[in-house]
Parts: sequence; structure tokens; C-alpha cells
Amino acid sequence: MSLILGYVATLLVTFFTYNIFVIGLNIQFGYTGILNFTVITFMAFGAYFYAVFVMPHADNASQVFYILGLHWPWPLAMLAGIVASGALGYLIGLIALKRLRSDYLAIVTLATGTLVYGLFGNNNKLFDGWSGLFNVNQPFQSVATNHPNEFSWIFVIFSGLIMLVVWLFANRLYASPLGRSMRAIREDQDVVDSFGKNSFKIRMLAMVIGSVIVGIGGVLTIQYIGALSPAGWTTGETFVVWAALLVGGRANNLGAILGSLLVAVIFNEATRYIPQVPSHPNLIPNLRNVIIGSLVILSIWFRPQGVLPEKKASFLEVPLVDKYAQGFPGEEPDSALSPAGSEA
Amino acid sequence: MANSILEVKGIKLAFGGVQAIDDCSFHIEEGTITALIGPNGAGKSTMVNVISGTYRPDEGQVMFDGKDVTRMPNYVRAQHGLLRTFQISREFANMTVLENLLVVRQGQAGESLFGALFRAKRWQAQTKELVAEANEILNTFGLYRLRNEYAGNLSGGQKRLVELSRAVMAKPRLLLLDEPMAGVTPALIERLGNHIVELNRELGVTFVLVEHNLEVVEKICSRVVVMALGKQLADGTLAELRSNQAVIDAYLGGGSRERVGS
Repeated sequence: MSLILGYVATLLVTFFTYNIFVIGLNIQFGYTGILNFTVITFMAFGAYFYAVFVMPHADNASQVFYILGLHWPWPLAMLAGIVASGALGYLIGLIALKRLRSDYLAIVTLATGTLVYGLFGNNNKLFDGWSGLFNVNQPFQSVATNHPNEFSWIFVIFSGLIMLVVWLFANRLYASPLGRSMRAIREDQDVVDSFGKNSFKIRMLAMVIGSVIVGIGGVLTIQYIGALSPAGWTTGETFVVWAALLVGGRANNLGAILGSLLVAVIFNEATRYIPQVPSHPNLIPNLRNVIIGSLVILSIWFRPQGVLPEKKASFLEVPLVDKYAQGFPGEEPDSALSPAGSEA
Repeated sequence: MANSILEVKGIKLAFGGVQAIDDCSFHIEEGTITALIGPNGAGKSTMVNVISGTYRPDEGQVMFDGKDVTRMPNYVRAQHGLLRTFQISREFANMTVLENLLVVRQGQAGESLFGALFRAKRWQAQTKELVAEANEILNTFGLYRLRNEYAGNLSGGQKRLVELSRAVMAKPRLLLLDEPMAGVTPALIERLGNHIVELNRELGVTFVLVEHNLEVVEKICSRVVVMALGKQLADGTLAELRSNQAVIDAYLGGGSRERVGS
């Protein structure tokens, strides 16, 4: 029983953190049209920087090397991780958003991800190289002392609350005039500029907000697991987040949540329980990628907007008096007054 | 000229070896409707891009409302009321017609991150007012019934009207229209023309139209600037220009002389 409870807690935390990743990407891509092909790098930035701020100074005798080691209290270290992730977003934005269109930006993000991956992996003085960081200080240790599951369930509530805040934030942003400008930039950036809005600034804002949110998810991931190595944030992980957003429905945060449930939790986690084939140890993980890839292709083919497409905006309004409403030229004046759908 | 709202002085702009604009100067008086005409390749659209700030000229000055805006980015020019439309309709396709209009109004409370998050009451109230205002505008343009339709689903002519109504929503002082009548049926051309005249009369918007349809130019424009080979060739009323030999040679000439009916 306690094993199942622990497992359910882990699934829930996975679900919540993936929701956070997907919502972060949704603000970048779904709202603003920024093709960020290295979502998982921001997760790693958040996680690693949380770790080096919260862990004590590296003990050279243990042969584990990492920078800083400031031993800050975990809420402050959490903030540091989030800021680091946002700063990376800002830097990429400075390079790529000023002059480059979406497709080139996508290349820059992909390149940055590969660079960071190689740098963090090969340089064992930064975040302990390929071995990665472990024994990272976890929050709530002083409260959750009785049973391992106690920590898990406290963390379910903690990550759930943070997800809720991110969700409320993302929805308010979507409905606001700023969110509307972001979506207009997704449609046609030049036009937004020519109407007096600084589209560079707005795209940068979306880039940084998205990076910060993904960074939050990264901090939560390492807080829960207590360890992270480069094997945990390969390029493939980025496309799990993308698949979740595309399948669930871009520019719809409910779609983002449904997508992370379908792709990240059900497909990604459930396929881990298919028994391994001893002669081909990589078969099942590879099949998992095949399944997720097919899911993306099927969804783009049959439901390009995702399972839950972007909602059409509706506003509370006082209708204009009908006799006063004018029709479009070429229409019969009467049909102009009847509701949409009457055109032959 | 005291009341000239826009002045371009000695603009030069080359793309590689092509001198698209070669020392072109003219001015636009406030409250007028001016046509910018000329044969293909005369540099009209390039000039629109220079005035709106999409291109930066190699030489010369753009003055808007007495200020030198040559080095100003396009969005800052737009904030001063210098707006443009594009040759091809560029609506926000996956947004409703109403949203297309709501986006462009400047100075909304929820446009900053702080405002969007913490001044929700204010921008919600503002949005309500803007929706009412946008509906009024859409109604004048005959688009009220389509307000909740995605702009991308509209017909070509309807998209033209969305472009114009969106520009009105942004409260321009000077509106540059780059071939607003391109690909539009004659009935709609007349209607667009009437809208432009009304907006000019009632809201005092100054218009500059790049236009090939001389009937429209004759009907609604009080002054015409002719460009050819990147230079300003002549200006005046269309009637005056018809007797200008240089203009006839460059633009009105050939078979089109009878059509223009001089």
C-alpha cells in the first residue's frame, strides 16, 4: 500500500511539473509564436542552480565538484534557480529575438541547448559533469520525518499549489491586453510593430516569462528527486514537452494540462512498465519515443489545433440595435441582420 | 509650410545597385487626402516603408508634425499617430475581427506585465469600453455581424475593411494606405472611398494613398504627388497633372490617355 501511495505521489508530482513546463512553453509558443526547441535546458538551469545554491560547499575529498555551494535556505535557492533560468531566456532573447524570425530562433535555441548540454556534461567542475549532482537538499525535511511517503505527499501539495499559481497567472496573462498583443505577434509581428507596440519587448517578455516558468518546474523536479544528471535532460525530453503542447492544444492552458497528462504521464510513464527485452535493453525506451512521435504526427494530421483548440474570444457586450446594424455590400439588407451562418 | 504634417526631404535609398528612391522630396498638408501615384517601380511602396519606418533611408529626412523622425523606430512613429496599412491584407488570422481591433489601441492599462496581473479590474473595464467602441466602428464598416468570426475566414474584400477599421481603432493622425483598392470589387471600391472621405472629414485623419485607380484618385484626393524613377516628378490636382507633359510621358502616357479622358 505504501508503495502504491508513494508511486501515485510521484505520478502526481510528474504531472504537476510537466504542466508547469507545458504552460511555460505555451506562453512562448502558443501565445507568442516563439519556437523554443530547448525547453529542457531551462529546466536543467533551474534545477542545477537551485542545487548549487542550496548545497554546502563542495567537498573535494568526495571527488564531487560543483560551483558555488552556498548552502542557502531552500526558498532563496529556489529563487536563485528561477532567476538563472530566466536569465538564460533573456540572453537567448538578446541574441535571437532582435533580428531573427521564428525559424532561425528555433535553430539558435537548439544550438544553445546542445552547447549547454556539452558544456555541463564535459566540464566536471561546473555541475559535476556527466555524473551529475545528487544528495541535493530537499525542502520540508524537518517536517517530514516519519515516513518517506510523508515527504512525497507534502511535495504533491507544494507542487500542486505552485502549479495552481502558474495556471492562474497564465490564464490572466492570456486574457489581458498584453496576452492579446502576444497572440497578435504570433499572427503577424510587423503589423503589431506598425501599430505602435514594441514587438521585440513583448516577445522578450514572453521568452523570459516562459523560461522562468520552466525553471520553476526544474527546481521542483530536483527538489523532489534530489538528483539530476545530463542523462535526465536530453534533447528528447524537450520534445516530450512539445508533444504534450501540440497534442493537448496550443494557446489553451487546459489543452496544455490535458497534453501533459496524455503524453508526459500516461505515455511517458506508463510505457516504463512494459517489461524489458533482455537482449535489446534500448528497445522499450526507443519504442516510447516512436509512440510519442506517432502521437504528434497523428494529432497534427487529424487535429492540427490539438485535442482542445484555442478558444475563440468572446466579450460581454451590449448588442447594437439591429435596425442600426449595417450589412456587407452585396448582401441582401435583411440577411445582414440575421445571425452568422445565413450566407448562401 | 506651416500646416504640413509630413515632409520628406531629399530621401535616397538603394537596394544593392538599384536606386529605389533617388533624392525625393514632397510634403503632405494636414487634413488632406493625397494620392501617391507613379508607374511600377517608381518607388512608391518603398517611400511608404521609409515614411512608416520599416526602411531607413541612406540619406534625407522624414519630418512628422515638425519632428525629425528619420531615426525613430517604426513603433515609436506609430505611437505619434503615423500609421500604415499594407499592400496585402495582413489581418491577425487566428483572432476574431473584434480582437483584431482591440489589439491596436495604444495605452491600455493591461499592456505591461504589472498592469496585466495587478490592474485586472481596470483593463477589464477598459476592454468593455473598447469593445463598445470597436463595435461602433465595425458597424460603420458593415462588419458588425462578423465581429466574432476569425479574421482569417473572411473574404478578400472583407479583410480590406478589417484593415481599415483596425487602423481607425488605432486613432491615426496620418494614415498611409498602400494600394487599399487592390483586388477589390468596384462596389467595394466606392464604399472604401466613401469611408476614407468620411474619416477625413469627421475625424480629421490625413490620408496618403498609393493608388493606381485614377478614378478613385480623382474622386477622393485633393492633391496628387507623382513619382517616377525614385523621384518626385510633379504634384498638384489630377486635372493639372493631365496637362503636364512629363507626367503624361511617365505615367499617364500611351494608351491610357484616352481612358483618363483629358
